Amino acid sequence: MSIEIRGIGKRFGNFVALDDIQLDIPTGELVALLGPSGCGKTTLLRIIAGMETADSGQVLFSGAEATHLHARERKVGFVFQHYALFRHMSVFENVAFGLRVKPRKERPPEAEIRRRVMDLLKLVQLDWLAERYPSQLSGGQRQRIALARALAVEPEVLLLDEPFGALDTKVRKELRRWLRRLHDEMHISSVFVTHDQEEALEVADRVVVMNRGKIEQIGTPDEVYSNPATPFVYQFLGNVNVFHSRVHGAWAEIGRAGAEGGAVPEGSPAHGDAMAFVRPHDIDIERSPVAGGLESSVQDVHAIGPVVRVELAHGSELIEVELTRERATELALAKGQQVWLRPRQVKVFAAPTQPLEEGGSGI
Amino acid sequence: MSATGSLSVRKATAEPRWVRWTLTAVGLGFLFFFLGLPLLAVFVEAFAAGMPKYLEALADPEARSAIWLTLFVALFVLPFNVIFGVAAAWAIAKFEFRGKSLLVTLIDLPFAVSPVVAGLVFILIFGAQGVFGPWLAAHDIKVVFALPGIIIATLFITFPFVARELIPLMQAQGKDEEEAAVSLGATGWQMFRRVTLPNIKWGLLYGVILANARAMGEFGAVSVVSGHIRGETNTLPLHVEILYNEYNQVGAFASASVLALLALVTLVAKTVVEWRMRKETETLDAALPPEKTE
Repeated sequence: MSIEIRGIGKRFGNFVALDDIQLDIPTGELVALLGPSGCGKTTLLRIIAGMETADSGQVLFSGAEATHLHARERKVGFVFQHYALFRHMSVFENVAFGLRVKPRKERPPEAEIRRRVMDLLKLVQLDWLAERYPSQLSGGQRQRIALARALAVEPEVLLLDEPFGALDTKVRKELRRWLRRLHDEMHISSVFVTHDQEEALEVADRVVVMNRGKIEQIGTPDEVYSNPATPFVYQFLGNVNVFHSRVHGAWAEIGRAGAEGGAVPEGSPAHGDAMAFVRPHDIDIERSPVAGGLESSVQDVHAIGPVVRVELAHGSELIEVELTRERATELALAKGQQVWLRPRQVKVFAAPTQPLEEGGSGI
Repeated sequence: MSATGSLSVRKATAEPRWVRWTLTAVGLGFLFFFLGLPLLAVFVEAFAAGMPKYLEALADPEARSAIWLTLFVALFVLPFNVIFGVAAAWAIAKFEFRGKSLLVTLIDLPFAVSPVVAGLVFILIFGAQGVFGPWLAAHDIKVVFALPGIIIATLFITFPFVARELIPLMQAQGKDEEEAAVSLGATGWQMFRRVTLPNIKWGLLYGVILANARAMGEFGAVSVVSGHIRGETNTLPLHVEILYNEYNQVGAFASASVLALLALVTLVAKTVVEWRMRKETETLDAALPPEKTE
């Protein structure tokens, strides 16, 4: 089932949660709604599920009007951030719930319910926990039961609200790979909400980056990471160095000191205040002066797993650079050393009228 | 932390022996004088003239009528309390709406208003000179100084108990489970019966027990509206007062002992429910086993 969102708007008092959202989710796609908390992503998900009503706009399911359809008639499976398992029911009864509440005519016989529930529990690899209660399960197990429960009614759309938010890193990584596999096997459309960019980039077919009730960019994980449409997306997806520059024709003066930076890509604002974005791994360090290099001094060197993070100062600006271990060994940097920086890839945006939101954590 | 650390902690929290003994004695003494002794006195006075007199006092038609009336009113009020309490708690805990804090305040009103005043209010509304008085008289309906008046007054006095008990419980549980039920296709009634009700059942029962205890023991409001018609509108607490004022010691205390017994039964039921509630929340909120990765 495809989902179309047409001009959806929602306010809570004076707070604009969603502002004229347009989004198409084709059948079979796994879409991530990514953004900082308060960006409206969960509200959008709940509007799709029918648990929240939009102030304006339309929701279409397979091209048919569904804006005012009751949540129970939407054939949508919803997985909650905190699982929302029925605490007084066994795991088996939790999964069976959707089948048991069906109108008498559609309700499958007991044996059929048993078979289907056990099949689902096998699918989530937890059939051995059927008689347990939710309180006796770990977080990861609860989340998989919640998923099995949502799948029991054979939904055409699966909606997941921060599905892995409350789990620890290792379980989270496992579960998201598992979700990806499950999605491919079930042939359904899935939408999941997350504030974790790594999760969105790894699992989703398409990523919808949201900020302040608006969509900033829609694209494949590679598109949004390599070619961010807005400064917000640049900052939210991975670490980035921001240089406040004044654009003169084809060159950007990076930094307040006015040293020369990289070439300005086409389509960038020609004049006026601008900001240049460079990812830490898109900067190279040279020990000797190079043309167009930015002179700076090494402040600190940290080896973090596979990469070496170097903090440098250029005037009063702090610049972060990520090197491979090999390159770091080659350079043998010491604190206080003078080096020259050469950005490999720069993206310039006109300076925003509003201050940027805090970016996400680094990859 | 070393052994000395834990030793110093123990020292800091433990009071000297004489302080502990004094505090315990004060607590137990208070309990004995204000709760134990009166209860004992009720039974001693009731049986002062012997068992036959005691039974005779209870066999008195007026005493019987008072007992039945009290039980009937308590039972009659019960379903109303359940329905109103659950509905109000549901609305307050699960929805946001204008005037919500006003509703919360109104629910507490019967706790804040003196029962006698509450009874007078119903006289003003339904009495002969009251707002609906002439209309009721014209249709030959008796509210004040009759059973309906007693029921209305009791309802007013007891309705906060269930709601008060359920509101914090339902607020703590949130509405995730209900939303999950609806997204799985449950109708409103199925959601309530299969998800909400099992989650609140012990809280509900607790509230009902408290409301019931109050309904049986209520004096002030009922006294104003009942009219004290012997054998007709006399509830057990009113009956006790009448007998006492007539210097019928044995009769008064025999009836009082019935009330005390009802209270004891309530207390036991309350303790059992509390114990079940705690046990259930303990198992449901049991510490999570460590995260397992396969």
